[in-house]
Amino acid sequence: MGKVKIKKKDTRIDMTAMSDVTVLLLTFFMLTSTFLQKEPITVITPPSVSEEKVPDQNLLSVLISPTGKVYLEVLGSKDSTFKSETVRADLLRNMAAKYNEKHPNAKVSLTNKEVAEFAKLNAFGVPFRYMKDWLSIEDITLRDKVLQGEEPLTTKDGQKVKLAGIPISMNEDANNPNEFQMWVQCAYNSMNDELKQSMVKGKGIAIKADQTTPYSVVNVVMDNLQTIKMNKFSLMTALKAEEE
Amino acid sequence: MAKDLSRQKKFETRIDFTPMVDMNMLLITFFMLCTTMIKSQTLQISLPSNEKIEEEQQNKVKQSEAVTIIIDGELKQANVDGNAEAQVADAAAGMLFYYDGMPPTAQDLLKITKGELENPMKQVAFGSQEGALPAIREILRERNKDVVAKIAELKKDWKEMKFSSNEDKNDSIYQAKAKEIRNDSTLKRPVVIIKATPNASYAHVVNVLDEMQINNISRYQIDRINMVDSAMMMPLKEKALSAK
Repeated sequence: MGKVKIKKKDTRIDMTAMSDVTVLLLTFFMLTSTFLQKEPITVITPPSVSEEKVPDQNLLSVLISPTGKVYLEVLGSKDSTFKSETVRADLLRNMAAKYNEKHPNAKVSLTNKEVAEFAKLNAFGVPFRYMKDWLSIEDITLRDKVLQGEEPLTTKDGQKVKLAGIPISMNEDANNPNEFQMWVQCAYNSMNDELKQSMVKGKGIAIKADQTTPYSVVNVVMDNLQTIKMNKFSLMTALKAEEE
Repeated sequence: MAKDLSRQKKFETRIDFTPMVDMNMLLITFFMLCTTMIKSQTLQISLPSNEKIEEEQQNKVKQSEAVTIIIDGELKQANVDGNAEAQVADAAAGMLFYYDGMPPTAQDLLKITKGELENPMKQVAFGSQEGALPAIREILRERNKDVVAKIAELKKDWKEMKFSSNEDKNDSIYQAKAKEIRNDSTLKRPVVIIKATPNASYAHVVNVLDEMQINNISRYQIDRINMVDSAMMMPLKEKALSAK
């Protein structure tokens, strides 16, 4: 009788196939992903059955927190000369010109560096007279906290102020726009014609408010837009299945 | 010596892929967490501009067609962005009222308070009982039943791909026909006036706007609440609160 020969099995598993799969998945995610944009406030939009998608370019969205702070986000077009950065820089220059025209005694002059800094930002919302002070904050986390109103802003004359979004109030006089209306008008009149066209159609302005926002707050924003004749806009919602 | 040289070492040709897989898995996890696959939906609305319109120029709504929906809610204290005192709308406490016909005038209101006229306003429950449709949907569907029935017929044809064998073409023909039906002036269609009190939550306003889409109502508007409406709402609210 010969000895029973126990075959020694190789315990190592061939990982090549596994690697193939993961690389494939990785490629898929890399190609389809759009990164979550950093927003000063987290907003949970209410559900609706609407199936229309939010455009991912040429969009001005108004972010409204439950407590009534208002922020703006600007997206330029994806594949033309009017990229988000260009549009934002142009917007800020227009706004500065408009603001200085209205407030000749408290002019805000921005340097090219500050404009470039602004162009990189996804969302903004500080009173314009503090814009320069806010943009000159070097520390990015501190700047975000100031935007959220968690930390006070130190102005150049040493004062400390807490910020609460773009100043907005009921205003029905189109000839004397408030700061929020000025921003929207500047975005409308920026050199990006595509943004203007989509704003006219109502796709270019989106209101993104939290579920728990009282209607009074949303109403102020809608009324402000109506006053400057932007009476077509869209409301951002989350997906809800239609129950039949 | 010679023996050593002749015995060439046989290299292992298989590479261990385990670290590669580890790394890929990590990257996949990163991409999965940082991306947004679902894009937000939008609800398109258009409001009238704020300019004063002459009485005669306003299109008068026919008495029989008008339905007014009033959304009310409650505020609650919540901790929002570190602000413990913040007042936000309570998404759980929504109240819905409606009445048919034109808004009562101040004289009507006087009669209602004296008891000479019946209060036209009724309260409906927000949301749905188990298994049933939301109460407001039933009411609106009843008002818009001609259109709803026609759309249902059309939908059947659409599902059977009767318009075209091409799916995209089938869809677009369906959409165009549905739009035609919704705007068909020969059918009896309601005009819905949506009013929200300052305390109503944004979620509830979107919810009601959503009902317009679900019930294929093409004519609706958002209006401001007036004294008469809130005066009529008071007794109903008191009743609802005491019933709790």
